[in-house]
Amino acid sequence: MTTASVPADGDPRRLLSDVRALTRQVRLDQRVTWLALLVLATVTLVGIPFDWFGMTVRCLPDGSCEFSRRGVLYYWPAALLLAYATIAVCYVRAARARGLGSRVLPYAITGAVTTVVFTAAWVAAALYLPSHPLPEQPLPYWWLLLDRLLTPWSMIGIALLVLARLERNLALGLFTVGYLAMVLLVLPMNNGWGPPHWGIRAGMALPQLVSAVVLLLGAAGFAAARRRHR
Amino acid sequence: MTGNPDPSDTHPATGLDDVVHQRVRLGILAITHEARRVEFGYLRTQLDLTAGNLSKHLSVLGDAGLIEVEKGYEGRRGRTWITLTAAGGTALADEVERLKLLIARIGTTDVPQDR
Repeated sequence: MTTASVPADGDPRRLLSDVRALTRQVRLDQRVTWLALLVLATVTLVGIPFDWFGMTVRCLPDGSCEFSRRGVLYYWPAALLLAYATIAVCYVRAARARGLGSRVLPYAITGAVTTVVFTAAWVAAALYLPSHPLPEQPLPYWWLLLDRLLTPWSMIGIALLVLARLERNLALGLFTVGYLAMVLLVLPMNNGWGPPHWGIRAGMALPQLVSAVVLLLGAAGFAAARRRHR
Repeated sequence: MTGNPDPSDTHPATGLDDVVHQRVRLGILAITHEARRVEFGYLRTQLDLTAGNLSKHLSVLGDAGLIEVEKGYEGRRGRTWITLTAAGGTALADEVERLKLLIARIGTTDVPQDR
């Protein structure tokens, strides 16, 4: 048995437990998760009329319709960049007001990168598809998933995963996985939803509305949890 | 038999740094590491210290080159911000590693044996 002594104040278990508790408290004090979700929900809601009125629909005599979502392309890149800038500024200001630095910059950068990726994919599709129409047969499932992944609603989720990792925020991580599963696997963000008589515009608006409501509910939930914590 | 002892045979407590192996100073390093940058008032509240006591601990850490202190103003209010240096980050990581080793050692070899 060693003769080395450790002072009572330096009990290793207590010291390590103190370090973990203080670290956890700092992470909690740095978070403004509700605000990030609120900004993203607002951007999603405001995007609905842009998609509605910016959409060009051309119906053919055989009853089929072709549509182009130009509103998405014109609205979302600028809106997302503005949203990430707003979130970053608010995070830094909130943390600073509490006497802390912030870790939000990698999230804002990821958000900007995902915005560029989605925009590039949509521009490429807009240029390529008119001269190379998709085949008549049903598209493979991976194609459908990729199409949904390269939408602004999915990109919001991808960037939120990064925020959850940065904040070591398990609740946000779980929320985001649920949100991503919804926009990738459940909601037909890319081909509309609802009864046929609603038309294409309403069919496209409904999934966006659901995703905005989910983000809003998330913002309310995280805000309530924060109030309870305080 | 001669030669250097195997480092794995030395007790983790022998390598503890007195500057870091202290509850308040370890707390300051842990908070500053997580926060990237922390204000004097936040440290005082979280560690439940008087301003004088906290200043003394900050001086010890500053003299050891583990933190940097930056004083400035926000409006008319003076604010003091503390950041961790690279040496401070290394010292914190080393201390946490040694604490884990100590706990592991206590849990295995230092358990009193039945006679």
